[in-house]
Amino acid sequence: MEKKVKSTEQKANSAYPTTQQRELARNKRHLSQRQESLVARLRSGDRTAAAELVDMYYEQIYLYMRRLGHDRQISEDLTQESFLSAWHHIAQLRDGKALNSWLYRIAGNISRLYWRKHRHKELAGIEGADMPDHSKSGRDLVEHDEQLEQLNDAVSRLPIKLRQSVVLHYMQQLTIAEAAVAAGVREGTFKSRLNRALRTLRRQVT
Amino acid sequence: MKEKRLKERLNELAERAKEPVRSDLAEQIKQQIPHRLERHKIGWDTVNIIIDLRMSKSVAAAAIIITLILLANLFGGRDSTDGGIVRDSILLIKYWGGAERSEVSAVRSKYEHLLHRGEEVTWYGDRIDPKDRSAVLMQHKRRDGRYCVTFVDGRERDVSAEELVKLLTRMLQNKAK
Repeated sequence: MEKKVKSTEQKANSAYPTTQQRELARNKRHLSQRQESLVARLRSGDRTAAAELVDMYYEQIYLYMRRLGHDRQISEDLTQESFLSAWHHIAQLRDGKALNSWLYRIAGNISRLYWRKHRHKELAGIEGADMPDHSKSGRDLVEHDEQLEQLNDAVSRLPIKLRQSVVLHYMQQLTIAEAAVAAGVREGTFKSRLNRALRTLRRQVT
Repeated sequence: MKEKRLKERLNELAERAKEPVRSDLAEQIKQQIPHRLERHKIGWDTVNIIIDLRMSKSVAAAAIIITLILLANLFGGRDSTDGGIVRDSILLIKYWGGAERSEVSAVRSKYEHLLHRGEEVTWYGDRIDPKDRSAVLMQHKRRDGRYCVTFVDGRERDVSAEELVKLLTRMLQNKAK
């Protein structure tokens, strides 16, 4: 009887979104509307929209470059180059939904071209800020940190296509559909790359 | 490691693998925004497809023009059996070959026409450098014994036999250099 009551409550909860879920949905809608209007202004040649685009994305693109293994200086240069290329190809931008993946695709191509020219250059790691986890203590904390370090190394050892998939989806937080467009492949191909990457990481991280 | 845990760790790693971006990077990028952003133009989708296919600009333009000619021939009522499409394409290719080449081709047609009429003509096109604008492309002996020479740039000049020899000698010397 008690179980029945619980399951009914759960159902009721899923039918009526919580305040947090409503807030999240509202934010998402707001972002999508902002992107739509930004794209419309960009397509009409508005320079202030271009400046807004920089403010919205320059940190993300810089971090994307860093996570793809470029050092600080090169990442800054490649971020600038990505935006320059974006101004140049503004006519190819179709709608607001495509903005994220369009910009990431340009950045990915710029990065790929760089690696093609500098094949023998070593990957640069990213020195993350220390974020002590206060919920864990002593041994747990050390183990946890070691595991993250292992994972970081394993990600940087992945072949470039697999690394790009992991970075786009798990680190840059793009949806599968957006990340697939950004990587320039079909969704199925992207999912299979992601699975291969996860399998490799699971083998390497204990 | 279990897949769910691995995904959690990856999200955590994303939070950790962050670093502050240089504060003036955004300003630096904004300074490079072009004064005139390229507007979206209707009809550019075809060109974008061609760019995506990584064709060169001239090949892409030729492809578009040939397609238009083919469509005009198909729907414009022209008889395609008279070789119109082929002739148009050859003209286009000649056009893309560059101006010098088209001038040489025009003189070559004239040479063939004179030869067909039984005139005394000599063709030097195979032996000259087409970039040398003053090189003699063709000589045509007139009935009065003088020669009409045609240069690479299309100019024509009436010369005597002695002058012709001098011109040809100079041309061969230039080529030898």
